[in-house]
Amino acid sequence: MSGVEIPFKISIPDVELELLRKKLDLVTFPDELQDAEWRYGVPLSDMKRLVARWKDGFDWRAVEKKLNNELPQFTRDIEVAGHGKLTIHYVHKKSTLETAIPLLFVHGWPGSFIEVEKILPSLVETSEDGSFPSFHVVTFSLPGYGFSEGARKPGFAAKQYAEVGNKLMLSLGYNEYVTQGGDLGRAITYKMAQVYGGKHVKAWHTNMPSSLGIPAPTLTSHPILYLQSLFKPLTPAEKAGIERSKWFDTEGKAYFWEQATQPQTLGYSMSDSPTGLLAWIYEKLVNWSDAYPWTDDEVLTWVSMYYFSQAGPAASARIYYEMWHELGTGFAGAVKNPPRIPMGASYFPKELNVSPRSWVRTVGNLVFESVHSSGGHFAAHEKPDELVEDLRNMFGRGKGKPGPAYGVVSGRNGFQPA
Amino acid sequence: MSSTEVPFKISVSDDQLDLLRKKLDLVTFPDELENAGWRYGAPLSDIKRLVARWKDGYEWRAEEAKLNEELPQFTRDIEVKGHGTLNIHYVHKKSEVENAIPLLFVHGWPGSFIEVRKILPLLVQASPNGKFPSFHVVAFSLPGYGFSEAPRKPGFAIEQHAEVGHKLMLALGYNEYVTQGGDWGSAITRKIALKYGGKYSKAWHTNMASGVRPTFTSHPISYLQYLVRPFTAEDKAGYERTMWFQQEGRGYFMEQSTQPQTLGYSLADSPVGLLAWIYEKLVNWTDGYPWTDDEVLTWISIYQFSRAGPAANTRIYFEYMHSKDAAPGALAAGMPTIPMGVSRFPKELAVLPKSWMSHTYNNIVFVGEHASGGHFAAHEKPELLVGDLRKMFGKKGPVYGVVTGKTGYVRSKRGAERAKL
Repeated sequence: MSGVEIPFKISIPDVELELLRKKLDLVTFPDELQDAEWRYGVPLSDMKRLVARWKDGFDWRAVEKKLNNELPQFTRDIEVAGHGKLTIHYVHKKSTLETAIPLLFVHGWPGSFIEVEKILPSLVETSEDGSFPSFHVVTFSLPGYGFSEGARKPGFAAKQYAEVGNKLMLSLGYNEYVTQGGDLGRAITYKMAQVYGGKHVKAWHTNMPSSLGIPAPTLTSHPILYLQSLFKPLTPAEKAGIERSKWFDTEGKAYFWEQATQPQTLGYSMSDSPTGLLAWIYEKLVNWSDAYPWTDDEVLTWVSMYYFSQAGPAASARIYYEMWHELGTGFAGAVKNPPRIPMGASYFPKELNVSPRSWVRTVGNLVFESVHSSGGHFAAHEKPDELVEDLRNMFGRGKGKPGPAYGVVSGRNGFQPA
Repeated sequence: MSSTEVPFKISVSDDQLDLLRKKLDLVTFPDELENAGWRYGAPLSDIKRLVARWKDGYEWRAEEAKLNEELPQFTRDIEVKGHGTLNIHYVHKKSEVENAIPLLFVHGWPGSFIEVRKILPLLVQASPNGKFPSFHVVAFSLPGYGFSEAPRKPGFAIEQHAEVGHKLMLALGYNEYVTQGGDWGSAITRKIALKYGGKYSKAWHTNMASGVRPTFTSHPISYLQYLVRPFTAEDKAGYERTMWFQQEGRGYFMEQSTQPQTLGYSLADSPVGLLAWIYEKLVNWTDGYPWTDDEVLTWISIYQFSRAGPAANTRIYFEYMHSKDAAPGALAAGMPTIPMGVSRFPKELAVLPKSWMSHTYNNIVFVGEHASGGHFAAHEKPELLVGDLRKMFGKKGPVYGVVTGKTGYVRSKRGAERAKL
């Protein structure tokens, strides 16, 4: 079912770095309309500056070293039904507390396993006075991303990604665990909650509760929620959320449609032009976050995860195709068969889809909610402290009042045994 | 308003050819799923083969020479309200028939002025025994395409493209003219018909006129008719084609109409990326058209070597989608009144029942229906398209003599009588 664990260190061959340099040396920039700014896409001045930095100044070897120091990485083979074995790359850091809660963090696009970087130290931290729980943290590179192998055959969709996540946790000795995910991680952990919930997954938390849009409760689907929503006026935050969602649908979702219908066509550009790849990703880093002050090196590190990925940058788009064609509405997290295990949601105002909170109740067994006044799509990267605090509150037992998911994992409540 | 005409020959610099070669030498291909076929996009084997040809075998200089020989080209400055002067590149070929009908051909994306190549000789041809009309043909590169300058400011939408086409015809001495267009050419010639129709544009023909679905409130009779009348086999096939395009084929449209600059970095920097982006459409949008590799590479080269670079051409999508023309109901609200002709091909991108065209198009006097052919009618089915134009504008046609003094035939006493000149 799963092979042996092999320690892993990121080490991109020199020849790859040289090829990148050669391509950047030949870069051809497009023109730009006057006063275009961000209206038509990434501004030319940003791109020129980032490419100049990438050519000269951005130190990939230093980034490699830092990541290898901070994130204990491994690979192991995982068998996926109908798809053979894939070599999966992952981070695994245990808390010093044996009874810490095993937590699987699942990234999305255009993120990567490095999104766990800022929350990892706090999650594994133990509290002297037992005021917050501790976690054992696992995060893997989705197949086709980072340093995991990509799927070789069509049909590798949510179910298969979920299978990888579950088998990885089992192989690490975590028969019961909880999950945290946003973006594709939200879709995958939702599937995990549906398929493995109860038996293995004991609770799930997401910072993207309404996915890319969820249906409103109707009189026939959720009569009580529906009636409640009739009497509850929308809050200013919910109204702003609707505007944000509208922006995303009308101006920000084209990447989704291309990736969900013609990912191979897109893949030629992504593979051949690091500059093209940079623009494709950077646009999201800025538009999807809440005025997060990206440094150029941060951006280039995120893009490098795609440029230097094991499967190449084209593979990462295919998950959109597979999920979209599998369900038709793939990402919406159809309300049929909602997972029953406890669900936690963190709301950030600049997420891509911000639905009224009453709608989120249709998604699952919502036991924990936390509303934030700032933050966007990349919660673990933009608001690590807030996200960790939410998880601590959901799973903890602050001041004698247990959180709504306290003790869900047998024998591992995140605290010293009494 | 428009300055003098300057003869033009395509002459891509050696530097550009050199840079292309360097980039192709460094090409990095993606992987591909097993048995992917065309499902996920352009297949790897096709793209590899095309790139190999592009590197070694494809002769741009020979293609350039052929184009320069076949298509008499020029440039001239055209002033566009609010956008200053743009240097416009165009083909202009007169028929030997003095009173040939002036016809403006407007291309779209990912086409170019070279789409006029196959129909040009047929259109200008003089008919022995006056069997069919002849045309003086003008085909310009849309601003941002081919060898025309690109707009510099935001807001250059369909109206502005229409202004260029119209002013060009006037500058060439064609006070009255007709138009033919597909893809963006259809929207642009529709705008020309709307803004300049009657006085200047006398009739228009398009190979892309789909109309919209009737609803009970928008078109009650049409709606009710379709409740009781079963769809024909053609209707059903057209519906499937339309659904395919809606569900699988519009990713490029979404990206180009919302984030064209982002896409532009890829298209400008990677010839292979550009090739794949366009090639996918050349195959998916045609009806089994047997593209040769060199044909494909010539179409892509017009983008690769375009005056404004490969990013500028995508902006028309953004400008259109953010203009009033794209608002719901806009098409039905303002319809041209001049006579209109349509040619219908089964593999166009939207193929809806014929009668639905009247929901957004007025005064349709000619409909040509064909059993094969796709989106690039002038390239795939030049004889059929020209056949339709000849029927529409010919002696027995519905708009014979629509352009004053220019029937398309050699003037004879009988001819003059017939045209009631």
